[in-house]
Amino acid sequence: MSNIYMPDLMEVVEVKQHTADVKSVKIKFKDPEKQAKFSFRVGQFGMYSLFGEGESTFNICSSSNWKDHIEFCFRKTGKVTDALWRVDEGDTIGFRGPYGNSYPMEAWEGKNLVFIGGGIAMPPIRCAIWYALENRAKYGDITIVYGARTPRDLVFTDELEKWAEYDRVRVIQCVDPGGETPEWKGEVGLIPNVLAAANVPAGNTAALVIGPPIMIKFTLPVLDRMGVLAPDIYTSLENRMKCGVGKCGRCNCGPVYVCKEGPIFTMEQLNALPADF
Amino acid sequence: MSETITQQALRALVDEWIGAGTKVAGPSYVKKDLCQYVPLTSSAELLLEGFIHPRNSVKDFFFPRHEKIYEYTLKGHEVELADMTPASTPQVIVAARPCDTAAVAILDAVFNWGEKDEFYTQRREAATIVALACVTHDSHCFCTSVGIGPDAEKGADVMLLPLDGGFEVRCLTEKGKTLFAGRTQPSDKTAVIPEGPKVKVSPEQVRAALEDYDNPLWKTATLRCLSCGACSFTCPTCHCFDIVDEGNAHGGCRAKNWDSCQLCMFTKHASGHNPRNVQGQRQRQRTQHKFRIYPDKFGEVLCTGCGNCARNCPVSLGILGTLVELCAEMPKTVGESK
Amino acid sequence: MIEEIRQTCRTLLEAGTVNVVIAYGQSNPDGPVHPIFVTKPDDVEKIVWNKQCFANLTTYLTRKEVKSLGKAAILVKGCDARSLVVLVQESQVERSDVHVIGLACEGVGEPELAGKCRVCEVHMPVGVDVTIGSTEAAAPEGQNRYALVDEFMKKSPEERMAFWKQEFERCVRCYACRGVCPLCYCNQCIVDKNRPVVIDTSATLKGNFAWNITRAFHLAGRCVSCGECTRVCPAGIDLRMLNASLAQSAEKHFNYRAGMDPETPPVIGTYNAEDKENFIR
Repeated sequence: MSNIYMPDLMEVVEVKQHTADVKSVKIKFKDPEKQAKFSFRVGQFGMYSLFGEGESTFNICSSSNWKDHIEFCFRKTGKVTDALWRVDEGDTIGFRGPYGNSYPMEAWEGKNLVFIGGGIAMPPIRCAIWYALENRAKYGDITIVYGARTPRDLVFTDELEKWAEYDRVRVIQCVDPGGETPEWKGEVGLIPNVLAAANVPAGNTAALVIGPPIMIKFTLPVLDRMGVLAPDIYTSLENRMKCGVGKCGRCNCGPVYVCKEGPIFTMEQLNALPADF
Repeated sequence: MSETITQQALRALVDEWIGAGTKVAGPSYVKKDLCQYVPLTSSAELLLEGFIHPRNSVKDFFFPRHEKIYEYTLKGHEVELADMTPASTPQVIVAARPCDTAAVAILDAVFNWGEKDEFYTQRREAATIVALACVTHDSHCFCTSVGIGPDAEKGADVMLLPLDGGFEVRCLTEKGKTLFAGRTQPSDKTAVIPEGPKVKVSPEQVRAALEDYDNPLWKTATLRCLSCGACSFTCPTCHCFDIVDEGNAHGGCRAKNWDSCQLCMFTKHASGHNPRNVQGQRQRQRTQHKFRIYPDKFGEVLCTGCGNCARNCPVSLGILGTLVELCAEMPKTVGESK
Repeated sequence: MIEEIRQTCRTLLEAGTVNVVIAYGQSNPDGPVHPIFVTKPDDVEKIVWNKQCFANLTTYLTRKEVKSLGKAAILVKGCDARSLVVLVQESQVERSDVHVIGLACEGVGEPELAGKCRVCEVHMPVGVDVTIGSTEAAAPEGQNRYALVDEFMKKSPEERMAFWKQEFERCVRCYACRGVCPLCYCNQCIVDKNRPVVIDTSATLKGNFAWNITRAFHLAGRCVSCGECTRVCPAGIDLRMLNASLAQSAEKHFNYRAGMDPETPPVIGTYNAEDKENFIR
């Protein structure tokens, strides 16, 4: 008998502020045995609890190769995230998971990878990037296109530089026109335009696109022109969830429970779903 | 040949269960004009005839509207959790309508796929359901349109069928046999249950009609919906829930609470984005979930035709009316602009 | 009378005066009466007027799905007209945007008249654009419109508390009361706000008391006693008693009755230096 809604207690190891309203948090199981046994696949998510405030759903944005902790990243926008903003090292939070499906990292072996992220969408891509870089030989060329409104809205900027140092990795950073500062050295333009102009070789390629719906909408035709087709384009849905285990009904969208059969879908799969997301 | 029990003997038996400490629930008038399934303190409260369908459903006893899942205590940086999974306590639901008992069997699938919801399954395993066949129905009843009927045995451990002065007793499971062992009398009479309501639609028809996701019906026939949860909360099969924390600075509990896809907050993101922002979309979701999504996933229609949605709807918008319109060749055009 | 109603609605639709008529209809002759939205002149034949026309249709005037249909005509009984008066006073409805068809009403409910109809003082609706039908029905002479409350208040505080506990115990928080109420038009209801959580969303005695009492207080001096909340409650909670008690206070202390007269400024929202404060304890 077990209570599937019961979280594990986690210790907050480190909190890092990225932007005016985005932080990432490193946590580890209070029970070392659980920490040692815990495993997940990149792309999966967890339910994070702040007791007295509630639970929130975030992707596990650390690589599955990192065994001593997991990380998540959030924007301060609601009841739980407002409270999470006040969390500090040494505090206790709850964690349930891992839940959901994951990126097909095995199926992507031998392919070129294009990662495209907008704003706060970098964390769920970051876990896949690290995983690919840690298994560098298994993947072809890696292109990372990451944009935000202004340089101050970019997250994990220190890691962007580290990624660029890897062999056959190209990192393209961009900010919206008008968002650039005098010091800005990256591209200026909207993600779809920057991607179109970047001349990314696109044969034998899988793309992971995460960001605001409007960004995804205009990026898809660019990928299409590049020759990356719907079955090879992946994204992650962000339906509201409560239970995470296919009971509470909240994330249901057409035939799928996003928490069980998602959150990762190909564009081909998404095209077959009703637009309830 | 059949086994029977007099109404008097049945009431005596119910009182015995109660006396032995078993939780017993059944239909009862809790106030004038309000019949509900409620915990019984005596068989005198139990209704065995003269009612169509209680205003609530028996899901209340398996999936209560509010249920603590654990308690937390805050101590500085530390937190202590106390599991609130219920102990397995025997309960008997007596005189449940067949549409309600069938619903429990249908709900088993969702609470058991993948991870098991012990809150539901513990109660379910410890429960014996004694169904009471229907001899009358009202204009809201449509069990026969979803493959159930006035004496459908699905989900029941025992079926009681009204017979002069008492009931024919059909024990359908071991649990049922144990409950009635030695309490019934052989008889040469068998109960005859009148036919149920006329069949109005078939699940297959509805399933096919729902293929058209953007049917204009959702913009028109649902205009009168007031976006409350009366249908979902009194529905025996609706099972969506919320998870909330309630407490103070020292501690509190996390609880599962009923929720409804008809309420506008159900899918609303913290960012303000709401995938189902319009009532028609929410009505469509409820119908799709019941007649297409759940059947495709779990092999069962998530509706037993009890009619409670219509009975309890402030504006008489039951799901049956929607299904009939959906299946009509051309959707009727009440409220359609142009 | 029904022919006159249908003809009036037909004329309005044909002339393009309105885009939609919010009315009563019946999907089948034995079925329940429910609100319908008529947009085509020929569909006025679907309109009905009988003892089952309980609904207060003015609740639809503030709903975005209905507003999107364009200019509306609406059927109102005397009690419903009162809530329209409040909606206009509270700037939720622009009176000139709605064509109001008043119906002379001798009460709804059969075989027994609804409770509110037995003490009705507005058989002929006020503040409408046109009235159809006529009636001599009038309020019983010298009646006490708060008889129910007065009777209830004779009980001891403990008995009254026990009563409300029993009633609120059954509340499942479906919010049918809120949905059906014309004056529950808040863009975001307090119970849907979670920063901070003011009212527990759990259907526990604590949350249910907080919800039902808060809602009643929000309707103080506004509720027009249309009785819809009580009619639709799937748990049969006697909500009108709460509302009637507050209406009684508004009348007793401020000589104000909501929705009776468009010219009388609403009691909540009007400051008067002479306002009594003795009700604050």
